Amino acid sequence: MSEQTRAAMQGVTRSMAAQSGEAVTEVVRHQRAQPSGWWGMVLFLCAEVTLFGTLLATYFYLDFDASRWPPAGIAPPKVVLPLVATGVLVTTSIPMALAARFARAGRRSPTAWMIVLALVVQCCYLAAQVLLFRHDLLQFKPSQSAYGSIYFTILAAHHAHVVLGILLGLAVLWHLTLRGLTNYWLIGVRGVALYWHVVNALAVLVVLTQLSPSL
Amino acid sequence: MATVVSPRAERHVDRLERIWAERPGLIGWLTTTDHKRIGLLYFFTSLAFFGAGGVEALLIRTQLIGPNQHLLSPQAYDEVFTMHGVTMIFLFVIPMTTGAFGNYLVPLMIGSRDMAFPRMNALSYWIFLGSGLFMYYALVSGHAPNSGWFDYVPLASKQYDPGNNIDFYGYGLIFNGIASTAAAINFIVTIFKLRAPGMSLNRMPLFCYAFLAVSFALLFALPALSVACLFLELDRQLGFHFYDAGFGGDPLLWQNLFWIFGHPEVYIIILPAFGIATSIIPTFVHRRMVWFPLVALAEIMVAFLGFGVWVHHMFAVGFATLTTVYFAAASLIIVIPSGIQLFAWITTILTGTPEFETPLLWIIGFIIFFIIGGLSGITVAAIPFDQQVTDSYYIVAHFHFVIFGAAVFPILGGMYYWFPKVTGRMYHEGVGKLSFYLTFVGTFVTFFPMHILGIMGMPRRVYTYPSGMGWTFLNLLQSIGAYVLTAGLVLIVANLVVSYFRGEPAGNDPFGGDTLEWSTTSPPPPYNYPVIPTISSAYAMWDKEDRERDNRRLDRGEGLIQLGHETPASTVQDAEYDEILAMPPHSPWPPVTALSLLGMFAMLLLHHYAIAAGFVVVGLLMLFAWHDKEVSV
Amino acid sequence: MLLWWWMLGASVIVFLGAVGMLGLAWFRRRSAGLPIFGEREDINQRLVLLFGIGIPTVVLTVLFAVSNIYLIGQTAPPAVASTSMTIDVIAHQWWWEVRYPGTQAVTANEIHIPITTRVNVVGTTADVIHDLWVPQLARKIDLVPGRKNRVLMYASRSGTYGGQCAEFCGFQHAHMGLRVVAQSPAAFRSWLTSMAAPATSSTGAGAQAGRQLFMSAQCASCHQIRGTSARATVGPDLTHVASRSTLAAAEIPNDPAHLAAWISNPQAIKPGDRMPDLGLSRTQVNEIVAYLDSLH
Repeated sequence: MSEQTRAAMQGVTRSMAAQSGEAVTEVVRHQRAQPSGWWGMVLFLCAEVTLFGTLLATYFYLDFDASRWPPAGIAPPKVVLPLVATGVLVTTSIPMALAARFARAGRRSPTAWMIVLALVVQCCYLAAQVLLFRHDLLQFKPSQSAYGSIYFTILAAHHAHVVLGILLGLAVLWHLTLRGLTNYWLIGVRGVALYWHVVNALAVLVVLTQLSPSL
Repeated sequence: MATVVSPRAERHVDRLERIWAERPGLIGWLTTTDHKRIGLLYFFTSLAFFGAGGVEALLIRTQLIGPNQHLLSPQAYDEVFTMHGVTMIFLFVIPMTTGAFGNYLVPLMIGSRDMAFPRMNALSYWIFLGSGLFMYYALVSGHAPNSGWFDYVPLASKQYDPGNNIDFYGYGLIFNGIASTAAAINFIVTIFKLRAPGMSLNRMPLFCYAFLAVSFALLFALPALSVACLFLELDRQLGFHFYDAGFGGDPLLWQNLFWIFGHPEVYIIILPAFGIATSIIPTFVHRRMVWFPLVALAEIMVAFLGFGVWVHHMFAVGFATLTTVYFAAASLIIVIPSGIQLFAWITTILTGTPEFETPLLWIIGFIIFFIIGGLSGITVAAIPFDQQVTDSYYIVAHFHFVIFGAAVFPILGGMYYWFPKVTGRMYHEGVGKLSFYLTFVGTFVTFFPMHILGIMGMPRRVYTYPSGMGWTFLNLLQSIGAYVLTAGLVLIVANLVVSYFRGEPAGNDPFGGDTLEWSTTSPPPPYNYPVIPTISSAYAMWDKEDRERDNRRLDRGEGLIQLGHETPASTVQDAEYDEILAMPPHSPWPPVTALSLLGMFAMLLLHHYAIAAGFVVVGLLMLFAWHDKEVSV
Repeated sequence: MLLWWWMLGASVIVFLGAVGMLGLAWFRRRSAGLPIFGEREDINQRLVLLFGIGIPTVVLTVLFAVSNIYLIGQTAPPAVASTSMTIDVIAHQWWWEVRYPGTQAVTANEIHIPITTRVNVVGTTADVIHDLWVPQLARKIDLVPGRKNRVLMYASRSGTYGGQCAEFCGFQHAHMGLRVVAQSPAAFRSWLTSMAAPATSSTGAGAQAGRQLFMSAQCASCHQIRGTSARATVGPDLTHVASRSTLAAAEIPNDPAHLAAWISNPQAIKPGDRMPDLGLSRTQVNEIVAYLDSLH
């Protein structure tokens, strides 16, 4: 180990000791690499992206093989509402990105409010999507065709990830308000923001796939 | 419990000993987050599953010892050969390599005190145990999966397999996959961030490169399997039609998804074995690995290229020639990085001064079997040839040579090699060598004749065969070989068990090893290293100056990092010291979270969907509680 | 097969070479470095390049060119125009349905083809995935629901060739064999004509009783005998069952004793098979055997 390193090891911040906004900014200033928790979220998202890649590839695989897609008796999907809903969801990346930035600056209150804003929009999105999902289920069923099977499975998988994202946001919010902004929850905020960026990007791919027969 | 270098140093580690002391008794094992204990849990559990898979293999070989035998009915045989495959792959080889060897050794080799996410590490183990018990409950209750370890539809669909046998498979593999995904994430972050300061990527042991490659492969391959099983269960339980040709679905979708996972899986199986080989060879030939960077690159290339070849499992399906030819070409390209590694090992052995002690013998056996298995694999990349021998015993020979000969032999060699480190005792060398020769001969006699049987036309997965085909003698020979092989394996276990109680004390470094774990005590203290090691090269143990410098620092009480349960974190590429992390000491949450997941899968199996949802809620609450009390200094 | 022998030869050379190097390592275990060259890392690296990249690239390219560019044409599905006739094979759990399009001929578990004729075999399945494999005449071809896979079958010499299912398909996968009989074109044509004809009616008393029993017991609910009221296609077509050399998907020889054993207790011969134990008395079995044995 070099002299520099040994010297550094004498006085570096123990990041877990950062229990306040101020201490958090100190840690952020000294850190040269992304924290472990951030990497963990990145890798988890790699797996989820692969999962969705597989689902979407299955959609096009079945589409490619089929003579009529959707099969006879199922109307091609309506375009407007799903696109609008997805557009609204994608905008929540802005408050989440801001939340991460405020958290890195050690500012607890703005962080929490940005998360609240994002959560409200996300919940509205989810409600709208549940209604659209139910409407679709009345038109055709997954147990009637492979088209229905893959259509509803992709949408359900996406909505499940939205639900998970909302729960993650709530958990982070809970700790921010009750425990304060510590280094641990800074990583939490950054992780959840990253999660939402990826889910939003996937939402775009999902809606384009879902609407592909009509586009 | 540690024996440190000098009496002067003892007082410095006192505090470390107290902070890192394991909780005693059963509760200590249940709530442990220590990578070494988790590694041992994985070791014994996967060894038990190895035994189960072995019994299944012996049942198969005994049933096939002669034509028209009646030991197993076709229904029982189908369950036995399916469980043999599922057990050996998902419940033995992967958990043994990644869970046992990886968990125990990677943090030690990188000079860290634990994995990046110790509680998630424990969770991975408990989920693995849960998934194993889940699937074995099927066998015990007489409803084991019975359409082969790759479970083709429509045979595995509700129509042709109406009981819940396949549901144990579908749910069980999703369950098992969660453990492996979590483990993969853990290894990658650990290797990226927790290497001792100074261990830049080009100074990391090849063993860790293998595990890095394996982890990325697991991360990107498992989703395909999970999706395939999800579709299977949706078809079976809710009447979906992913795989129904009559409704716009496609049975080949299953095959594609399965093999997109399945082929990387076989590289996931073998890469850790490569890692073990590259640890044992330098130690026993007293020489650095020839062309280390190329070998490291080759390990990663194998994992990467493994994603592009899956259709070679489907050459008889009836795809267009262009498709099959492309995948055959890709399959042949993978030979190159394997060949590079193979000849690097052989050249290293040739140019070193090898001592053919037990661990190296196992690696020699591995090399021999890997060559044969690799060659038979090359032959089936010749599509016209494959279209005659696929689904025959030729393929059974090929994959047993590469999986048993080439993946398991290093595991057995590694068990001998690291036994002194883990237990502090030496095994009996003479019995070790005998166990090798027995196992080697048994393996050869069991699996080599299968090449011939395949070419003679014996198909695979048959519960019996007629007399008069000319297959009888070879089958008899194979079954005898299997018993010899079993004897060899039993001898290994006997050697290690007896040596545990009666072996000579081993000391820190009985073999002159090249990696860091040999610098600490045998067994290592819970905190692994009192002083975070100084690193100047990829062969840390052979840098005597660094090791002495560390001892002097320990005597002076410098660099212990012991304000709490702590380990340093570094930057990813150059391992520049970055911060100090606090590690969680014990936690009850991993086992109970795994239990709630088990509850969920059990309820799904029983079609109690509302209760399953309840278990999901419980599991989420547990995850919430887990993060509630943060790890502090 | 020639390809196999070349590959085996090359493999043996590679294997002996590598093991030879290991043997050399054992002999020279006391001295470090290479023989002759000594400790030369650059030579070591060149050895790795040569054996790990250089030689494999050459050998594998040759293998690829020979097998996957040149030879593969012989195993590709034949251009239909290049074949003289088509046979439909439909796999079932655990028997083979064989049809000759353009004729009324339907049989089971036995395919006849004329020699020196390119035959286009079109395969599919009625249930799960099976694989048609007649090793001496053709490559393996999977039979997949929703797909019609084609394979070329060509026999240069007359004879009986064995085949079997080669994709695990359930309990009796081990006992799903078939026979391919290659005959002279004239013999084939007369066989095909007799196959296409409805059942020859039988006159013996035992056979008449057997026929009655066949129609009234459960037999007719699964098996077809063209020219009678038995029209079900769940199990194999039995119109000319007596002309076949084997029974139960090439499992047992076709003689009265085996046929009787099969009808009495199919589960004893093929446990898990779809044909149930019918609970017939010995007399009834013998009558049915007499009837079926008259169906040439």
